[in-house]
Amino acid sequence: MSQGQTKLSRRNFLLAVGAGGAASAAAIVAKTVPQVEPQPAVTGEGKKKTRGYHASEHIRNYYRTAKV
Amino acid sequence: MARMKFLCDAERCIECNGCVTACKQENEVPWGVNRRRVVTLNDGVPGEKSISVACMHCSDAPCMAVCPVDVFYRTEEGVVLHDKDMCIGCGYCFYACPFGAPQFPQAGAFGMRGKMDKCTFCAGGPEKDNSKEEFAKYGSNRLAQGKLPACAEMCATKALLGGDGDVIADIFRDRALKRGKGAEVWGWSTAYGKPDKAQQPAPKGGKS
Repeated sequence: MSQGQTKLSRRNFLLAVGAGGAASAAAIVAKTVPQVEPQPAVTGEGKKKTRGYHASEHIRNYYRTAKV
Repeated sequence: MARMKFLCDAERCIECNGCVTACKQENEVPWGVNRRRVVTLNDGVPGEKSISVACMHCSDAPCMAVCPVDVFYRTEEGVVLHDKDMCIGCGYCFYACPFGAPQFPQAGAFGMRGKMDKCTFCAGGPEKDNSKEEFAKYGSNRLAQGKLPACAEMCATKALLGGDGDVIADIFRDRALKRGKGAEVWGWSTAYGKPDKAQQPAPKGGKS
């Protein structure tokens, strides 16, 4: 009988610890969520923004010579 | 937005390897790594054809699809580049690429190949444009300088065309019309996709 009571009290203790932990975690998340700003998703596409291709005089000259 | 493409006119290529040399020189590519090479079909047989081959910067790049660490990315101009800092040298891209473009500085087992190296369309890598770091890892960034890849600019017969896909396709179309043949561009459908079956003309008569 006493062994059964011990088991029960241990369960209650663990339940209480679990509930308390979850509550504190929820409180932390609630505090931090407003501070988090939405970040743009990083994907393989368009990772690099460069000056890149632009039809310069040099390139136009190349296209002209390639037409020969 | 322009999409960068290579196109090799096999009717014009004379197998001079000028493009290969220009690439090596421009990007200081180490020994054993060939970003570009000239392949001759039916070598020695009358009517042989030569093609200059490098990374075709595919629209749906297989290397990009198989890379386990996602090193590949596509720039706004459609150039397929990679981040050498993240490469683990697994070689999957080499097996996936239909053009044999990915190159490795060493021969060895998994992880012993070194960082993958390939044609960058002379557009460098993720580092700052035309920085020392970028040059050391990827070679020259001519695109940011308002130039096109050294191989295409060097080609004496203008067989290798590089640049805005719309422009070079127009140039090639004019050539094909003038000579009345040679409209089949090697590697084009592999790299940039085949036309939809619905758009293809129906076969004329007879059984196929």
